[in-house]
Amino acid sequence: MSVIPVFDRELLRRYDGPGPRYTSYPTAPHFDARFGEADYRRHARASNDDPVPSPLSAYVHVPFCHSACYYCGCTRIIARNPARGREYIERLAIEIDLQVRLFDRDRLLTQIHFGGGTPNFLGAEGILAIMAKLESAFSFDPDPSREFSVELDPRHGDAQMVADIAAAGVNRISLGIQDFDPEVQKAVNRIQSVAQTAELIEAARANGMRSVNVDLIYGLPKQNETAFAQTLDTVIGMRPDRIAAYSYAHLPSHFKAQNQIRVEDLPSAEDKLGLLALAIDKLTGAGYVYIGMDHFALPDDELVRAQERGGLHRNFQGYSTRAECDLVGLGMSSIGKVGNAYVQNAKELPAYYTALLSGHLPIVRGYELTAQDRIIADAIQSLMCHCKLEKNAFGRRHDLVFDEYFAAELGRLAPLAADGLVNLKPDCIEITPRGRLLMRVVAMCFDRHLHKAQVIPHKYSRVV
Amino acid sequence: MSPQGGVLRWPSPQDQGDGDIQRFCTTCAFGRVCLTDGYDKRALEDLHCLVEHTAPMHAGEEVFRHGEPFAAIYAVRAGMVKTRRIDEQGREQILGFFLPGELIGLNGLYTARYPCDAVALDTVTLCRFSFPQLSVLATRLPGIQETLFRLMSKDIVNAALLGGDYSADERLAAFLLNLSDRFAERGYSATRLHLMMPRSDIANYLRLAPETVSRVLRRFQDDGLIEVDKREVHLRSPERLKHLARCVLQQ
Repeated sequence: MSVIPVFDRELLRRYDGPGPRYTSYPTAPHFDARFGEADYRRHARASNDDPVPSPLSAYVHVPFCHSACYYCGCTRIIARNPARGREYIERLAIEIDLQVRLFDRDRLLTQIHFGGGTPNFLGAEGILAIMAKLESAFSFDPDPSREFSVELDPRHGDAQMVADIAAAGVNRISLGIQDFDPEVQKAVNRIQSVAQTAELIEAARANGMRSVNVDLIYGLPKQNETAFAQTLDTVIGMRPDRIAAYSYAHLPSHFKAQNQIRVEDLPSAEDKLGLLALAIDKLTGAGYVYIGMDHFALPDDELVRAQERGGLHRNFQGYSTRAECDLVGLGMSSIGKVGNAYVQNAKELPAYYTALLSGHLPIVRGYELTAQDRIIADAIQSLMCHCKLEKNAFGRRHDLVFDEYFAAELGRLAPLAADGLVNLKPDCIEITPRGRLLMRVVAMCFDRHLHKAQVIPHKYSRVV
Repeated sequence: MSPQGGVLRWPSPQDQGDGDIQRFCTTCAFGRVCLTDGYDKRALEDLHCLVEHTAPMHAGEEVFRHGEPFAAIYAVRAGMVKTRRIDEQGREQILGFFLPGELIGLNGLYTARYPCDAVALDTVTLCRFSFPQLSVLATRLPGIQETLFRLMSKDIVNAALLGGDYSADERLAAFLLNLSDRFAERGYSATRLHLMMPRSDIANYLRLAPETVSRVLRRFQDDGLIEVDKREVHLRSPERLKHLARCVLQQ
């Protein structure tokens, strides 16, 4: 299964364009403001009704950052006063109390992910306080295979912080690097040394953490192949278990901070492809397995093993080995998925706080999946995780005849098959090594909301 | 044809039934009355005429309530219905689950009032048979009478299934096998069961805690007896389940 993607420059150039990342289907722009708290409560209660209800996963969003990285497209607030963090933790505790009441006690919390923003804006004590609150409210899964992870900004963390959160049960960390080249760091307002980063990775190992992930970005201002090659070598030398190499999406009309980036500093589309080729080449050359989209992992990492046995899944945090969890979104702007519904919290702090202080969940929009959505979501999931869709098994699972149900989709795939991105076999659809970097384009053929809308909205980032 | 090869699909509430004046719906409790030759065609038509197809009911709506005068029996056409009693302290006690093709309300015959509530578990459509008319017709169509007796006797057997002092494993194995038989009898898959009822209702019916239901099912799954995917339960080893449930099933 560990297929090295084929880098076909001409094909990538031709198929590049805006497209969803399919961390959910339907994608977030389809969420509806008419979906409210009462709907969420109904779905959450119903999720207790399965004969064996799913375990729970929690995403905790910490929106604060010490300073603005100019490339960032996340929902975040630049802050300095630590009191704002303490206030946030208090309000988050109210939300946890409201949420926990919706789920039966025997549903174990088996996955926690702190994202941001910058979770360590709160300091180790803030993260610990939230962990303690979660532990007192939910039933923590006692199994050591549970995944409790925190994103850390190395510029504001040290070995002690890692030791403290490890003691509280955190067994994975994810670090932002983007690029070690000082020129690039200056252009994106994120000065971060190799030493700071290495300290945290070593501390994670010393404290028995199971996995370290680092994020890189290609396509940043001032980036060039020579310096990026050096960054890749340095990162490979640190041997993180997982590496994500994201494509920078320059959408200054959507993300204000990006206006600080000078367009003339950005690499051309050609140069950007060169950076991607370099990353794939270096990482796979160093023994990393390409999982899909932007993700690479060492061969003995759980993601690789899950992909090999067909148990990989995709959710808002990217790829995951846990499928069956209901995801409880906590914190400003968080997205949750419970039963057959997606739900999103208020994206501004005042609205988030006001709802909680009046005893309400701060839900502003959501989406109830139809029977058709669930079928499409499964098809897209299969393609994004395993590059493959077995028609008979799929048909049995959903009680349908594949070629009839997906007649229009098969039609849309035909030109992609002619270009060698997919193999359309009588019994299965396979993404080829040549198509692996364009799996979003393949998935888009199945997206019925996209094809209903006719025009692909520009709020999606480019596929490469 | 369905991809499972000849196995009926779970009827959706949109299915308006496949019956007409000469034939009953495929799943109907009275289906076998029509299959037997030599009956008075006129009487069959009368039977069909007294059937009323009800409008779809939604989850939580009541088909009839405890204490209401017994006027009709109902055959489930699509969806699932539960019967329950609520005691003085407001505690619910689940009495049974009814699948497409099965009849509810027969237990009202004894006191001429319904002794329980019947509640839709999802979107449900029903056929209503006015009981006074049905019993008149039964004198002309012995098949109807036989069917009624058979169904009443089956209700008694089902009720006895869970009365004994059985372990959680035995109860759940027997519960799954009983559903499997009933699904199979209606032409559905005997090994892929769609459990429409919430876990709390299964637990209540089996007199177990909801956590116990899940714990036992998870263990069955780990032991390779079943596979659970949301509301679908796939019986992978009905033989071993039968062995587990043998004490209950002997009854």
